[in-house]
Amino acid sequence: MSANLVKAEQTLAVANPKRKRKWQSYALLFILPSFLIYTLFVIVPTAGSIYLSFTSWDGISEDIRYIGFANFVEILQSTRVHNALKNTLVMTISLVVLENVAAILLAVLVDKVRWFKNLFRSVFYFPTLLSGVVMGFVWAMILNYNFGVFNQMLDAVGLGSWMVDWLGSPKYAMLAIILSTVWKGAGYYMIIYLAGLQGIPAELNEAASIDGAGGWKQFRHITFPLLAGSMTVCMVLSMISALKIFDQIAVMTDGGPGFETETLTYIIYKVGFGELRQGFGTALAMVLFLLILLVTLIQVKFLRKREVQM
Amino acid sequence: MRQKQTLIRLSALLLAATTVLAACGNNNNSANNTSEGTAAPDAAAAGNTPEVKKVSFTIGYASGDPATKQAIADTVKAFMEANPNITVKDLSETSSSAYLDWLKTKDAVGEFPDLVEMRDTQVFADAGKIVELPSDLLELFKDPPQVDGKVWNAPMQVNVPQGIIYSKKAYADAGITELPKTYDEFLQIQEKLKTSGITPLVVGGKDIFHMGFWINKFLIDDVYSKDPDWNSKRTAKTVSFTDPNVVQAMTDYKELFTKYVDKGWLSTADNQTASFLVSGKAAQLYSGTWMFSQIKEADPSFDFGFYAIPDREGKVNVVGLASPAGWSLSAEAAKDADKTAAIEQFIRFFFQKDNYSKYLASINGIPSTKEEITYETSEQMQVALDLITDPNVTKSLAINNWWGDNLIPPQFRNWYYKLMQELVAKDGDVTDYMKQADNEYDNQVKANQM
Repeated sequence: MSANLVKAEQTLAVANPKRKRKWQSYALLFILPSFLIYTLFVIVPTAGSIYLSFTSWDGISEDIRYIGFANFVEILQSTRVHNALKNTLVMTISLVVLENVAAILLAVLVDKVRWFKNLFRSVFYFPTLLSGVVMGFVWAMILNYNFGVFNQMLDAVGLGSWMVDWLGSPKYAMLAIILSTVWKGAGYYMIIYLAGLQGIPAELNEAASIDGAGGWKQFRHITFPLLAGSMTVCMVLSMISALKIFDQIAVMTDGGPGFETETLTYIIYKVGFGELRQGFGTALAMVLFLLILLVTLIQVKFLRKREVQM
Repeated sequence: MRQKQTLIRLSALLLAATTVLAACGNNNNSANNTSEGTAAPDAAAAGNTPEVKKVSFTIGYASGDPATKQAIADTVKAFMEANPNITVKDLSETSSSAYLDWLKTKDAVGEFPDLVEMRDTQVFADAGKIVELPSDLLELFKDPPQVDGKVWNAPMQVNVPQGIIYSKKAYADAGITELPKTYDEFLQIQEKLKTSGITPLVVGGKDIFHMGFWINKFLIDDVYSKDPDWNSKRTAKTVSFTDPNVVQAMTDYKELFTKYVDKGWLSTADNQTASFLVSGKAAQLYSGTWMFSQIKEADPSFDFGFYAIPDREGKVNVVGLASPAGWSLSAEAAKDADKTAAIEQFIRFFFQKDNYSKYLASINGIPSTKEEITYETSEQMQVALDLITDPNVTKSLAINNWWGDNLIPPQFRNWYYKLMQELVAKDGDVTDYMKQADNEYDNQVKANQM
């Protein structure tokens, strides 16, 4: 049904109460399947999770005991959770900044490049197609202390003393996860920024050029401000995916060395499944949910404001 | 007329939704592999042979060690060939997760194996996930351990001692002619190996279970060999991780790892350790007898020896007591009589002399059955067998293998091993880390009591 026909149907529906009721019943019928599936697979488990977060359920027994706010009190007191929260925030801020900076740079580069434009776009986008698990395995192999290409390259160029167990070092494990995730994610955001760049009228840059503005000034005063819309989308998406990061950590470090790279999502899995504390894990998931909600609301409000100002 | 049309549309919609949901349901059923209870088509078609019920069940076991995985997979294959009416679906997966994580995840997605290798027996028995071993199978085993007065497992083997697997060439190159009689002599050997230019020890620290080999070696020497009830005392808070014996054990562990272990130990997996040894990248590996097959497979000409590390007084203490672990029947499978019968048939097949001896030979295991099982043992395996039979050698268990009052909170083991990784990686203060262990232990005991 074309847009005009729908509009006509709606207009008729408003004019005729019987038609309006019919229209509403059709709408309900179309919504019903999605609503049922969504309720069954999202709303009901979420509501169940709220209840479980107030229990000491181990995840395997039939015995589910209500323990009030004990899980939330433990979250407030647990140094392991505080460490995971700190790691989550460090990782999120680093990823949001680095992924977006890398994506903008790549987008500007592939937009300006004269030859092999499509090749470069494909090459930079390719890592996005890999799953987090595959990417994790690849980077774990590259960064392996004994057999990894990276250390072997360092050794080959006479920098053997710089060789480190990148994923086993408390200093570098987090950095390795962040950089490999940027490698994987930047191409995706590059496409969004590229679309934004191509929406900027060429006349603006031409006029600025005639007025004597150099490349950097054009980028700073024309390109960057006009990318505000793309930036809102990319920042929110990268922030949410950074807060939920799991696969890379599971494959590359298992949250280690020790607890050095444990994040909230990873600790939820570890305590819920590995440590038989489903109730506590669910309480942590509730905290993460509230954290993502809060940060997203703040971010959207701030970035929308910036879009309007621009 | 309009009402009729609406009804038809509604029916079509419901039918579509039902089809989608039914498809999901069918898929789930096939994944669960319930016994089908149908006659084998060939037999039915032939008409001259008795109808044999087709039964299928799922199996899950710890598959981190390639030799064990292969040995069990071979037995499963042989069983299905011998019993064409029974299908065994192997759910085991090699993953970087600990076995308990994997098992718990399987349970969460409704795929808890019908026949499962159980290690945390008390936890799963208390949760009602497994049932007692059928009484007619008890006759197969020599004194299987009991939990709450009941036998829950068909023990796959007796716990085997762990020790140093060393390259004879590396020892000769370093001028080492005698095996150590005390722990200090063992440290002198490490120094000699280091001086000779080879990395003394390889550790597969990427796999959390591998950490247990070393951590428990020190805990057994300083704690469990002297006080087998230490865990129950810790639960009652009459002993502490900050006590001098535990601090000494973990100080020895930290010193050894800091000075003599390959620098990439935290990113080395257990299944990479054999290649380190045979390729000459490291001189020694601390592990169990199951590694012998892997090493021989990696390089049949590699000449290696095996010994248990003595403690400071020269006493030898090893893992070697029986613990409640082995094949267990899931409570869900036990509700299905056909499935239970098929699983019993499999267990009997597994422990049949011919099959069991092949299994034990592949993993260099020690039999748990009453029936005497023999297989050709290597020089290294003979050392392990001598350790088990030597009355002067103290037999003990790893921190998480005790049960009853000595059962630790099930989540504590992995947490503690990770803490010990961090202790070395961050060059932490042992006493501070032991205080953390005390706090966490108490928290977990408290959490489990809620």
